[in-house]
Amino acid sequence: MRVASTQYHTTMNTALQNASYRLEHVMQQMASGNRIMVPSDDPVTSVRIARLNREEAALDQYKENIGALRSRLQQNEALLDGSVSDILQARDLLVWANDGGNTTEDVAAMANALAALRDSLFYSSNSVDQEGRFLFSGTATATKTITLDPAAASGARYTATGNSDSQKVVVGNGVTQTANSTLQEMAPLLNLLDRTIDTLRTPGVQVNDPAVQAVLVATLDGLDTGLNSINTKIATIGGAQNTLQTLEDNHGNVSLSNRQAALTLGQLDYGDAAVKLNGYTTAVQATQKAYAKVSALSLFDMI
Amino acid sequence: MSIINNALTGAAASQIALNTVSQNIANLMTPGYTRQGTLMVSQRATQAGTVSPGDGVKVPSLIRFSDSYKSQQMWQAASELSQRSIPQPYLTQLEQVMGDDESSINSGLDGFFGALNAASVEPTSLPLRQQVITAAEALAQRFNSLNQVLSNQQSSVSQQRVSTIDQINSVSKSIAELNNDIAIAQATGTNASSLIDARDQKIDSLASLVAVQVVEQPDGTRSVSLRDGQPLVVGSRSSNLSVQANPDGSQTLKLAFSAESFTITSTRLGGQLGGLDDYERDVLNPLRQSVSDLAGSVAEKVNTQLAAGYTMSGATPTPAPPNGPLFTFDASGSSGVLRVVDGVLAADLAFSSDPTKPGNSDNLLKVIDVKNLSVTVGSLGSVRMGDANTQMVGRLAMQSQQNQASLATAETVRNQSEESWKSTSGVNQDEEAVSLMQYQQMYQANLKVIAVANQLFDSTLAMMAG
Repeated sequence: MRVASTQYHTTMNTALQNASYRLEHVMQQMASGNRIMVPSDDPVTSVRIARLNREEAALDQYKENIGALRSRLQQNEALLDGSVSDILQARDLLVWANDGGNTTEDVAAMANALAALRDSLFYSSNSVDQEGRFLFSGTATATKTITLDPAAASGARYTATGNSDSQKVVVGNGVTQTANSTLQEMAPLLNLLDRTIDTLRTPGVQVNDPAVQAVLVATLDGLDTGLNSINTKIATIGGAQNTLQTLEDNHGNVSLSNRQAALTLGQLDYGDAAVKLNGYTTAVQATQKAYAKVSALSLFDMI
Repeated sequence: MSIINNALTGAAASQIALNTVSQNIANLMTPGYTRQGTLMVSQRATQAGTVSPGDGVKVPSLIRFSDSYKSQQMWQAASELSQRSIPQPYLTQLEQVMGDDESSINSGLDGFFGALNAASVEPTSLPLRQQVITAAEALAQRFNSLNQVLSNQQSSVSQQRVSTIDQINSVSKSIAELNNDIAIAQATGTNASSLIDARDQKIDSLASLVAVQVVEQPDGTRSVSLRDGQPLVVGSRSSNLSVQANPDGSQTLKLAFSAESFTITSTRLGGQLGGLDDYERDVLNPLRQSVSDLAGSVAEKVNTQLAAGYTMSGATPTPAPPNGPLFTFDASGSSGVLRVVDGVLAADLAFSSDPTKPGNSDNLLKVIDVKNLSVTVGSLGSVRMGDANTQMVGRLAMQSQQNQASLATAETVRNQSEESWKSTSGVNQDEEAVSLMQYQQMYQANLKVIAVANQLFDSTLAMMAG
């Protein structure tokens, strides 16, 4: 085929432009370490990577939630532990008070100690968070867990005003974990204690009096029931902590495999890129040399 | 003395040929220059008798080395090339904007639903609730930024179309004028080669603006029309294209030729104009629709779910602020498609499903689940809300990849067609060097003939004198 003289320049220009484009692309890849610069470099893979990133973002949030939830559960557990030791002390006092050898003054003194424990239990039941919301009121967080009405008759002064609903925290895709404990059962317990204190403070009270005995026994039974109930809650919190640990580990594993997959999909193979870079450079050099030779050929040099 | 006459015609012919060679060499680098050759024809004998060899040589005209089939191929390739190269910068810009994971709608959605998830840890915590509103604002901002990029592209496409039309009109007019000059030159017997080169180059420019059909007329002019047959240039007359802006933001093309006027509805305009149409129709408009649909769905689904719940004070969200919906959606919004309602208070996010239980998070869990709802998004159809943006970017990437492949093919085809055109019409300097030497020798030989004839004449005279 006949070739026009300007074709050499055109071919050279096209070759150099193509080579520069390829070189620039490889260098961009090498500088960023990413195989894909824009999604059109590999649409299917970039969709896959984007989906992995979405899952990663969700997992990060679940892991954060688990962290926050654990500290919240620990706080609940500490408060419940406090109540358990109060109840145990109250129980010891009552067992002691039950002893018929106690004088009126003795039991009155015990009543004072019991009153302090009662108030302590009352206050820990109405524990609030930093924003003043009641921790043990179920979902009625604006309402006191236990309300005291001093004007009411002895044994009916404390009323459970919260509810026993659970607050669900999202800890996985469609997985929730209960974050709160409720303390409605604290109301009858406080009422029992309150009635016992009033009974023990009655002037000239006789511990051996069957009526007093009945009050004391009922309260002891009530304390045992309350103790069981709170211990169950503490055990539940422990179980929840274990569940959360398992979930966190699972999220961590999935997250790790996601990251690995994203790396495999999106990371540049430097060896491959270096080979390409070499190839393109050689091609440019060869084209340049060929052009220099060809463009030096002219019949006009001979005439 | 036919020897001298014959030699004279030879010398004259070789001078014309040398002149032509010089023109070719002078235009060695001129783009679009068609090389010329000298057509030599021997003159038949005018004297009677069988021993008369002839009356020398004559040059009836110069040869123009051109192949109109190759020109046509080159013009078609120009249309294809610019149809593919015009949308590519727009596609690349969108890919960079939408493909950047940090600033994408995707990470905006991640942030918003992440904030909702975080709020589930303590549904009544005001800082956690405030974070939901902040994340909602960030999400709206991402939608609006993308929408801004898309509407900037829209106005850029419209402006480019207007300027393309202006260029088409001006180039059509030049072609018509050159047609006129060519017809006159050919009628008066002047060499029209350079005029033809100029006109064909104008046709090449026109072909890259819009795909054309070119028909050669007997008088040397070329008629140019759009692919669907509407005339752009007929002889020395050209038509006038205009753009009419419609209220919906689209544009209508009109073509006026003489007293007639057509509305152009073609979807296969080709060239730059066709490339702009393709991009607007196949990428930009569907994408704007998808972004708008997704923003609308986010607003609608989140608002609907929030309306089913109760605020921290136990109130039902009202249609109006402050304890109204979280988002407002405005498809034609000049200040943005998605906004967070002014004055929404953290405490007024309706996360509870029971007016008496502010700590209840049942409705919050349902709002979180909105991410997994199916939404109908433009050309994608029904997709999961959390995956819609990924699919939008995926589709854009496919379209861009396809266009890049077509562009690479169009570049190769155009390069080949240029090379093919040059192989017929381009100047080769070695070839011209050969011609230069040959015609120089021809000239010298003819002068030698005159010298020989002169010697013969002198010998005759000397004999007579002797």
